[in-house]
Amino acid sequence: MKSTTRTTMMAMAAIGTLAVSSCGFGGDTSAGSEGDTTIDMLVPSYSDDTRALWEGVIEDFEAANEGVTVDLQIESWENLESVLQTKIQAGEAPEIYNGGAFSAFASEGLLYPAEDVASADTLDDFQESFAVNESFEGTQYALPLLASARALFYNQDLFDAAGVEAPPTTWEEMHDAAEKITATGTPGYGMPLGSEEAQGEALIWFAGNGGGFGDESTITVDTPENLEAAEFMKQMITDGLTQPDPGATQRTPMLNVFLQGRIGMVYALPQTVGQIEEANPDLNYGIANVPTNTGEPATLGVADRLMAFRNDESKQEAITSFMDFFFADDQYVDWVQTEGFLPTTKSGAEAMASDETLQPFLEMLPAAEFYPTSNPAWNATDGAFKSLMGLLETQDPASVLEQIQARADAAS
Amino acid sequence: MSTFEQPPITRIRRARVRNRESFVAALPWIGPVLILIFGVVVFPAAYMIYNSTRRISQAGTNIEGVGFANFSRVLADPNLPRILLNTVVWVTVVVTLTVILSLALASFLNKPFPGRTLVRMAVVVPWAASVVMTTTVFYYGLDRDYGIMNTFLVDIGILDSPYGFTKNVTAALGAAIVVGIFVSIPFTTYTLLAGLQAVPADILEAAKMDGAGRVRTYFLVILPQLRSALAVAVLINVINVFNNLPILRIMTGSIPGYDADTLMTYIFKVLQFDRRLDLASALSVLNFAIVIVIVAAYVKIVKPMKED
Repeated sequence: MKSTTRTTMMAMAAIGTLAVSSCGFGGDTSAGSEGDTTIDMLVPSYSDDTRALWEGVIEDFEAANEGVTVDLQIESWENLESVLQTKIQAGEAPEIYNGGAFSAFASEGLLYPAEDVASADTLDDFQESFAVNESFEGTQYALPLLASARALFYNQDLFDAAGVEAPPTTWEEMHDAAEKITATGTPGYGMPLGSEEAQGEALIWFAGNGGGFGDESTITVDTPENLEAAEFMKQMITDGLTQPDPGATQRTPMLNVFLQGRIGMVYALPQTVGQIEEANPDLNYGIANVPTNTGEPATLGVADRLMAFRNDESKQEAITSFMDFFFADDQYVDWVQTEGFLPTTKSGAEAMASDETLQPFLEMLPAAEFYPTSNPAWNATDGAFKSLMGLLETQDPASVLEQIQARADAAS
Repeated sequence: MSTFEQPPITRIRRARVRNRESFVAALPWIGPVLILIFGVVVFPAAYMIYNSTRRISQAGTNIEGVGFANFSRVLADPNLPRILLNTVVWVTVVVTLTVILSLALASFLNKPFPGRTLVRMAVVVPWAASVVMTTTVFYYGLDRDYGIMNTFLVDIGILDSPYGFTKNVTAALGAAIVVGIFVSIPFTTYTLLAGLQAVPADILEAAKMDGAGRVRTYFLVILPQLRSALAVAVLINVINVFNNLPILRIMTGSIPGYDADTLMTYIFKVLQFDRRLDLASALSVLNFAIVIVIVAAYVKIVKPMKED
């Protein structure tokens, strides 16, 4: 009995020593190649599966790489960037970070160039179109993790009841379809302009008129194309074709209402297919291309990325082995497939080519407009859209775009 | 020789030494508290003031000192007047209604009646529950699409169709005020109840003998006795309600623009959406200053510490 107690205590002391030496303050021990290295990793939650997926990857990685530990921290998208900002300010930036915008960090020299934290094989495997978006001033800083595109989801039963024959392909047809559905007593179109993702809804419409948010050097929100799109959005609102209070509607709760069959049309993501299967498999719905002003295909594409913060030079090797390990086929394909996203690697695209639910989204990807994440002013623009775009409901479209542009200009 | 004649100076010096000795002796006991106060009050407050005079990049790098530039920017903010007005309305309405309702509730709970203990326990419930949880219950209840309160109001014919209570400025602030009162009542009621129980029975008897009616007894005898309890309840409520983030953040969080913001939620938006740590710090210093001014004015005017 006594000896068991002693053994337990010794074991606890040993664990305690390990824990202390592997935390950030144990700088000496992590310097040697045979000592323990700890990589801090900060990632957002994409779904309920995110934690389990990353934990699986980390477990396999740690088993294959003796002496390297990965500390995982998961935050909601809402909090992710303020958590990161606080960490950077405290000098405790995570070694690996999964996020959207990266150029503000790159411009301050906080990031490793991609070639320092991934092998040439890994870098060569990325599809060209994605790799291009990861560069700032000619250097690639981030590794594209996943892609996603938006498509129009429509409720077939509501279409039938309202006498809408085919999904709309132009704005005019969309207005028409929404009008017919609204006349039956159900909102025709769901427009979420609340803070959750106002920038996404805005860019889908802007892209549908040949507009966008600009490029890596200039943010262009207040343009004639965007204004025309915003005026059309306003038209949909004033004609009463959207759900009530679009300016204060968050996307996720609104999609739930669509899932219950109480909205005619919404823009949604590949994951929505899985959500419908799980929550309301009886929903009779279809997926179509995003209707645009002229009928030319265009949509919003989103790409998220992994980047590595430069804290302690001794960790570069461990980061590299993690990146190479993760982007290898079996780990990566499983991760992307379970999360319901589109792959960014050539090998991943081959492996997932047969996935039918992803087909319509993969087709739309070439016509996708991306956020200007490589522009250092993008963070501020994104924030301005989140807090101001909803004012479209009550204010003049021109003045809303002007206010957002002013915020973007102030930050660049 | 001089053992018995201690000059006064030596005596004072001795007293000082004794004081220092007793401070050193007390250090192990008060030390942890001092560390705690320094760690969670003094240091963060000082750091916040320091941040408010810096320029901090979007990424979080501390770039340079800018003096009071952040303050002049914050004070010139066109949204500020509306935000301050909202803050004043929010604090005044919540605190006033809470105190009035709590006075009534405390008087009621002070009377003997069957089941009084149970009712007293029930009053504590909103206090015991997490504010975020309570507010979320209200938030979902008021939801247009699946809210039970909305359905109820439609069913009994008050509303023709469901209304987005949390999506319109006035309605959302109103709903937040209701929740604010709901969660503030327990503490206030208990503070006032304690005050009521301290009112001596003989004073009430004397008032009765002198022929004072119920209303006169309440306003001229009981209420003045409640002075210090009321003063504490009001002061703590003002600070609490002024600094409240969760209720407003949940109830008015989805409203675009800044028409429904108080100083607290605005600071949060500047930090979360604009990622301006420096401006948010400047606003927090402003917030801190306002609270100090309110407390100072209150202590000066009401003199809650005065015994009479």
